[in-house]
Amino acid sequence: MNDFLEVVVVGIGNGAVYAMLGLGLVVIYRSTGLLNFAQGELSMFSTFIVWTIWNAGVPLWLAILGGMAGGFLVGILLHQVAVSPLGDPHEKPLAVVIVTIALFLALNGAAQLIWGTVDKRLDPLFGQSQVTIGGVAIQWQKIGAVLVLVALATGFVLLFNRTKLGLAMRAVASNSESAGLCGVPVPRILMLGWGLAAAVGTVAGVFTAPQLGLGTNMMQLTLIFGFAAITLGGFDSLIGAVVGGMVVGILSAVVPQYVSTFERMPLAPAFILILAVLLFRPQGLFGSKEVQRV
Amino acid sequence: MSLLEVSGLRCGYGIVEVLFGLDLSVAEGELVVVLGANGAGKTTTLRAISGMIPASGSVRLDGTEVLGRRPDQLLSAGVAHVPQGRGTISALSVEDNLRVGGYQRSSAEVTEDLEMWFEVFPRLSERRTQLAGSMSGGEQQMLAIARAFMSRPRLLLLDEPSLGLAPLVTREVFDRLRDVTQQMGSAVLLVEQNANLALDFAARAYVLEAGSIVVSGSASELQGDEAIQKAYLGL
Amino acid sequence: MTSTGPRWVRYASGAVMAVVLVALPFMFPAFRVNQFVTWMCLAVAAAGLNLLTGFNGQISVGHGALYGLGAYTAAILVTDSGWPMLATPVAAAAVCFVAGVVIGLPALRIKGLYLALVTLAVATLFPALVEQFSSLTGGSSGLSLVVPQDDCPRGRPECPVRWESPIDGLASDQWRYFVFLAVTVVMFIVVANIVRSRTGRSLVAIRDNEVAAEASGVNVSRAKILTFGTSAAIAGVGGAMLALNNGRVNPTSFTLLVSIYLLVAVVVGGAATIVGPAVGTVVAGLFNDVIAPELPGRFENAAPVILGVLLVIQMLLAPNGIVGQIRDLQARIAARRHGGDPGGQTGHLATPGGTGTEPEDLGSASGT
Repeated sequence: MNDFLEVVVVGIGNGAVYAMLGLGLVVIYRSTGLLNFAQGELSMFSTFIVWTIWNAGVPLWLAILGGMAGGFLVGILLHQVAVSPLGDPHEKPLAVVIVTIALFLALNGAAQLIWGTVDKRLDPLFGQSQVTIGGVAIQWQKIGAVLVLVALATGFVLLFNRTKLGLAMRAVASNSESAGLCGVPVPRILMLGWGLAAAVGTVAGVFTAPQLGLGTNMMQLTLIFGFAAITLGGFDSLIGAVVGGMVVGILSAVVPQYVSTFERMPLAPAFILILAVLLFRPQGLFGSKEVQRV
Repeated sequence: MSLLEVSGLRCGYGIVEVLFGLDLSVAEGELVVVLGANGAGKTTTLRAISGMIPASGSVRLDGTEVLGRRPDQLLSAGVAHVPQGRGTISALSVEDNLRVGGYQRSSAEVTEDLEMWFEVFPRLSERRTQLAGSMSGGEQQMLAIARAFMSRPRLLLLDEPSLGLAPLVTREVFDRLRDVTQQMGSAVLLVEQNANLALDFAARAYVLEAGSIVVSGSASELQGDEAIQKAYLGL
Repeated sequence: MTSTGPRWVRYASGAVMAVVLVALPFMFPAFRVNQFVTWMCLAVAAAGLNLLTGFNGQISVGHGALYGLGAYTAAILVTDSGWPMLATPVAAAAVCFVAGVVIGLPALRIKGLYLALVTLAVATLFPALVEQFSSLTGGSSGLSLVVPQDDCPRGRPECPVRWESPIDGLASDQWRYFVFLAVTVVMFIVVANIVRSRTGRSLVAIRDNEVAAEASGVNVSRAKILTFGTSAAIAGVGGAMLALNNGRVNPTSFTLLVSIYLLVAVVVGGAATIVGPAVGTVVAGLFNDVIAPELPGRFENAAPVILGVLLVIQMLLAPNGIVGQIRDLQARIAARRHGGDPGGQTGHLATPGGTGTEPEDLGSASGT
């Protein structure tokens, strides 16, 4: 039983990271209506920024804030030069796929160019120690990940529902033409959406790096898990990203442990989940019905 | 000087030309209607003025050229636009729709105006937290008008408010519109197919046909001229 | 697909192309010739992807997996079952057709960006699948193709695939080049015939407006599933060619990057054009295999950055790709000559299922 619980704890810890990445994906989906295939690489890139600052002797938490700011700027820049000129993403999905994939390649290459191909070491934000609760050992890092996730999700919920910027973002996502007619500066709102998504992605990377090693490819699998999370939760639902992340995290930890067919494919349960949800409940658990269009 | 002065406005989609050098003007506080059949270019005229589509020619507001600005920039200059099909944001609640309408104003002003509009349109007040998309056509039109006024515009561009509404509801919308514009003192540039209603509402009228203004005059002149009515207004 | 330009231009450029293709293996060293063969494999797979994504509007970021499936099918058949080598592409096509149909079924309900997402997951999953079934595939250490001979137990590299030239004066790499060139040309002719047929026109009709296609009597579901299957089969042939050429298959050869590469080749060359994928593969191949290795040491890793930036620029300035752009240009010139309007604009990147963004006024405005 304890073995099982320990696997579940691992799953929750991973799930928190998937959910963080998912939050970024949801923010972009909500503001611009597109699936950002470069989100993982954005997150990897800004984690390297964190590492650079941290490596220069700055405390890790401060370095993370620096990395988030850096990611924010990179996100804004990419949106302005590459994504925004494309126009409505739902009019030409192929162009969107190609451009976000191009950004994927460019960010990955740029990171290799700047930081090399040897993995870097980033300390876990909450240290190496662990507590034992009811016979189950839990690393503080995992508890920290869940707490940070809850904080981020709460922050975004408040942002969307309680602030003027959030109102504008919801308006733009639902009907950008009308939002513009109401005086919302649509291009600036879209740009901020990308910036915010990149900033929150930094945190996902900071929790992934100590586990997998800070390398240029570390977020590629995580991205698929993040997509699985928001597919399950609903592409436009923040709460959905959190719940979906947890479910995906636990499933992909537990299933390979007990089903030998999936032994070396933790991704398989996530894949089956994506497929099943899109087929039978495309709006996910918490998404709005509107997502079904396209 | 007029509040709005449009001259030589030309516009098209791709290779299809829709407007051929259109001239019109609206004075401060004036109610003006552009009449025309389906496809004459009425919607395009409004979209070109508010910067939703590229156009050439000249659109002056208080003598300042505003052609080429984005809709949100035009709104800060005092021009609000209720588009065809009302443009309510269906995934937002009624209250949030109104708040978005006041996006460029301080939240204190917005809260104040919000209460005022809920008094003017009690039906919106009842449905405050309901999603805009779930309301009836007439209610959505009221919401769209109230939302446009949330920015306290000097000029309201209004695109066919009667579209898709039952005659009685249309009548009600126009009655409320008249009250509200009087109260707010805004000028209105309305485009309509329903000539009878619109000429009752407006002081001055233009008739648009195939992308050009063919007739203009006071509303009473047009109402009195049988030849014009027969030729252009199908009355 | 209508080619524009005078007939003699087409014949002349075709002849030049043929001469170049024949001369290439005699002008370059063996390792280059081998690279050219690799490009052919990719070009075939890209042509398959183009049928699906370019002509039918179903976006797949997962064709690398089908390419890999074809490669493993060929490798396993040659090594374990002792099939003659040139029969394996047919088997690979059959296996991949079935796999394509299986993926195509859910794709009936999943469209656009969401289909891209599902296929992206397929691409990411494939290397893990290979490792999971390592008893069949050799797992992460890969599988060498060995010609079945009594003294050659499976997996031993002593008896690798050999391509001995039956013609005097033709080196083995040159012989292999021509064999693969023939297969490639055949595959492109197959694609061209599909596209020019009634079926091909219905694929495009579905891409442009699914509802209208359905209304005019096209069985949309059937056409989409068959397209997925056919597209996968062609990609599988490409994969089988790769396995036969390299004499070895490896899970790392079929990562997400291959899927991306294929999609890039299609878009760069020109989606929904017949030779586009070949042109795109050559451009991408030149970039990856010829230019990138020449980058000075410090900038070795700059290749993907440059590729990414170029791609973004292309999508913004010339979204129809090289061939599409040339065709648009020809159409415009022809239109100017005839004084007509330029009707040759090819909107390949338009939405699958709906093209209209025109405001409500337009339809009626043009009528008055």
